[in-house]
Amino acid sequence: MNSPLYEYGLFGEGVSLIVALVIGFFFGLFLERGGLGNPHKLIGVFYLKDFAVPKTMFTAILVASSGLYLLGDLKLLDMTRIWIVPAFFWPQLIGGALFGLGYLVAGYCPGTAVAGLASGRLDALVAMFGMIAGSLLFAAVYPALEHFYMSSALGTATLPSVLGVNHWVVIAFVVLMAGMMFYSMERFERKTH
Amino acid sequence: MKKNSFWSPYVSGIGLGLTLLATFYVMGKGLGASSAFSIVSAVATQKIDPEYAGGLKYFSRYLSSGSPLKDWMVFEILGLFVGALTGALLSRSFRLKFDKPSHMTGGGRLFTALSGGILLGFAARLARGCTSGVALTGGAQLAVAGWVFVIAMFVSGFIFAAVFRRMWS
Repeated sequence: MNSPLYEYGLFGEGVSLIVALVIGFFFGLFLERGGLGNPHKLIGVFYLKDFAVPKTMFTAILVASSGLYLLGDLKLLDMTRIWIVPAFFWPQLIGGALFGLGYLVAGYCPGTAVAGLASGRLDALVAMFGMIAGSLLFAAVYPALEHFYMSSALGTATLPSVLGVNHWVVIAFVVLMAGMMFYSMERFERKTH
Repeated sequence: MKKNSFWSPYVSGIGLGLTLLATFYVMGKGLGASSAFSIVSAVATQKIDPEYAGGLKYFSRYLSSGSPLKDWMVFEILGLFVGALTGALLSRSFRLKFDKPSHMTGGGRLFTALSGGILLGFAARLARGCTSGVALTGGAQLAVAGWVFVIAMFVSGFIFAAVFRRMWS
């Protein structure tokens, strides 16, 4: 077992930046080709008009999730060296809710705004300036928010660890939920179009 | 409905999932986007007013590095732009435009894009990431962070879409 490759020192920081460009290239290609540079498609889910976002997102989550845990179980990937997104319950709940509003109003999220600009949309560039200003706003009020920002820390909690079940039980549950969701979205789209 | 030239969302979803899986395997971490904007924000603030930027505790995490723009996420976002541009050019769907709902004025769209963007930038810092870094990456890791964020984001989006029913129609 010698992966994650970067964590095991297969290449240094300079090469990692080239890797970042290559990975970003595919990230952007799939976003744009999936129609996720288009704000009308991006907000469609909230008006039950276009389900490209949840379909793309949950397909991607399922593919990456099964692949990640499969590589870990087969001992092809050292799971202890994977950086898990840390959980801070209340900041992520409130942050997620504010983010949902921003996404609806702007018509983009950060990554898709870049894809939007790359497809020629200048409104996406305006949204990107907004994001830069919003980051500064957060930094400016950070001293007042720091206590809340650091609160309800759950560390690298994962659903399998919190629920005390095997990760494949959780993945099977997500497959079932996503399957039902995809099925109802397809039926709904056939009925309304 | 008119058929568009986009790929099936399931196909692009599989592509995105494999890209994320490759990132885990090669780098030991996932995808991201919003931190690149935060880094650019810190660097721009420093250029305009070094003293003010130096006093911002939150930005010190970026500015303590000698070259904050030499960052993995910044390069990933540059790659994202080139990849999306390639997709738009090859499919001949690249159009220079100011995209907006048909009933909205240009000034109105300027306001929604800017104010929505400010909210996104602020919220992503509070949540420690966005749709890419927390929802997609955390979701795939089955991390609590990812699923809390995803659920909060969709519930909020649905509620505010009911409030602003005519914004996009």
